[in-house]
Amino acid sequence: MGSERNSDGQTRKINWFYVLNAALLGLLALTILYPFYNAVLISLVSQKEYMTTPFMLWPTEITFDAYAYIFSSSRIYHGYTNTLLILTLGVPYNMLATAFTAYALSRERFPGKKIATALVVFTMYFSGGLIPLYLLVRDLGIMNSLASVILVYGANTFYLLLMRSYFAEIPSALEESAKIDGANDLVILLRIMLPLSMPIVATVTLFFSVDRWNEWFNAMLFLREGDKWPLQLVLRSIVMSTIDDIGSRNVSIRKTVFEDGVKMAAVFITMAPIMFTYPFLQKYFLKGMLVGSVKS
Amino acid sequence: MRERAGDLALKRPGRTRLRDIRKNKYIYLILLPGLLYYGIFCYAPMYGIQLAFKDFRASEGIWGSPFVGLKHYAYIFKDQEFWQAFRNTIEISFSRLLFQFPVPIVLALLLNELREGRYKKWLQTLFTFPNFLSWVIVSGMIVNVFGTEGAVNHLLTLFGGNEQMFLANQELFRPLLYLSDIWKSSGWVAIIYLATIASISPDLYEASYMDGANRFQRMLYITWPGIRSAVVLMLLLSVGNTMNAGFDQIFNMYNPAVLPVSDILDTYIYRVTFQTSGDFGFSTAVGLFKSLINFALLVLFDRLAKAVGERGIF
Repeated sequence: MGSERNSDGQTRKINWFYVLNAALLGLLALTILYPFYNAVLISLVSQKEYMTTPFMLWPTEITFDAYAYIFSSSRIYHGYTNTLLILTLGVPYNMLATAFTAYALSRERFPGKKIATALVVFTMYFSGGLIPLYLLVRDLGIMNSLASVILVYGANTFYLLLMRSYFAEIPSALEESAKIDGANDLVILLRIMLPLSMPIVATVTLFFSVDRWNEWFNAMLFLREGDKWPLQLVLRSIVMSTIDDIGSRNVSIRKTVFEDGVKMAAVFITMAPIMFTYPFLQKYFLKGMLVGSVKS
Repeated sequence: MRERAGDLALKRPGRTRLRDIRKNKYIYLILLPGLLYYGIFCYAPMYGIQLAFKDFRASEGIWGSPFVGLKHYAYIFKDQEFWQAFRNTIEISFSRLLFQFPVPIVLALLLNELREGRYKKWLQTLFTFPNFLSWVIVSGMIVNVFGTEGAVNHLLTLFGGNEQMFLANQELFRPLLYLSDIWKSSGWVAIIYLATIASISPDLYEASYMDGANRFQRMLYITWPGIRSAVVLMLLLSVGNTMNAGFDQIFNMYNPAVLPVSDILDTYIYRVTFQTSGDFGFSTAVGLFKSLINFALLVLFDRLAKAVGERGIF
């Protein structure tokens, strides 16, 4: 193996390094994979089987009891509904506050540009803190309603800066000609800039969607009633609780259910949408990261 | 720009400014959603910071509550639990720098040495995926793998070791924090470095081939200088976050048994506010203390970065 020749006619002494490197990275990949595999397996086996072989590689008997148990309680449905609501109302709001501001701040001719940018960037490093925000939400009268969770996370300054540097690269000649045709800034933004910036718009929309899917902290602060909770908060209470709190109405299942199985079933249900769409969306995430890091 | 400079030469600056504003009036309309958001949810709460120097009374509101000067701070600095959280915050942050920060760099260098192809693509997808899961999900899985009946303990006993309570053991909890964060986020950060490596000119590598440089010399003399400023920038961002030692992760993983080694300022503030005293003035004071130190550190390290010839943040 030591002295094969590659196309450049150079001796390849690198072969062993390559093999070792590929093997090492493969091993790392397995350590990433195993916790997922483990979680799915636990959700699918009985308590008896788990107790005898915790380091399972292959289950002997599959049961869907844990999933049946989870779905017999209304909490997961509430969680899904609330999260979908937060997503469908929240992401457009996120984009409105972020993309629009990014566009305005990217225009050389916008008079307040410097001050506005400084004011936006300042919020990355300094904030009022937890309690002033809590009091504000209370004073606005949106405590214990989904509106609080949706409104409190509006613009994201980091994504905003990514978008701003992308918009800044688009030749201003395009705008000028649209201006001559009588288009105003709003028309230019919606009809020209955003369609031309699809890579970054798609990426940031995806980032926001993931953020919204993962939302739990604000919900924990602002929402008292369990049926208003988003999915992640429901999951959190399931993972942290003992079985009696999970609140299934079906008493006969409750007796026989396997606690860790139920928890892992809840974990799986919560991450499944990301898990199944991620391989297809990954290239957009990467593209977004690339345009961001190369340009700024 | 050129057009504007011409305007300035012809007219008085004040009128130009006014004309600029009128000409760009739609920009203000576009700015409105962002203006409302930043105004209401970022700047308006800053008004509440005064609570750090007041005794909050719900009936009198933020403005009406009585002024107490530095009373909260006098109390904070006497509180053992505060000092513990303060120490933990700094220790955990710097340990993260030491143990976690280099991992994505090494990972990027190794990934970069793989040939382009399905294997590399597959690995990248897998490595970046955990970053997009919440700590609620990840900690749920960790508890399973590292729990008393989990896979790791099973392996330990299989090889003649003793069972460990990883999540309740004060000595093992912190390594578990670092390891699980490495597991979750290294792949994603590595992508940022990989992108930087990809932008290094291939000519440099070819020239070094000609000069007979080996793999490690190329890494040392071409790849490393190529990613150096990206590394410094990432380092700067991490240092600027010293006082945020990872609330989401710790809040979802800790328990009373490991409180002495895992309680950070953020978890302390949360507990003090919503689980124990509910003294809003006191918690705001702790929060302000935290923000100020963070901001000072950021400015300090930004200066340092510039002093050694890097770009910095500001």
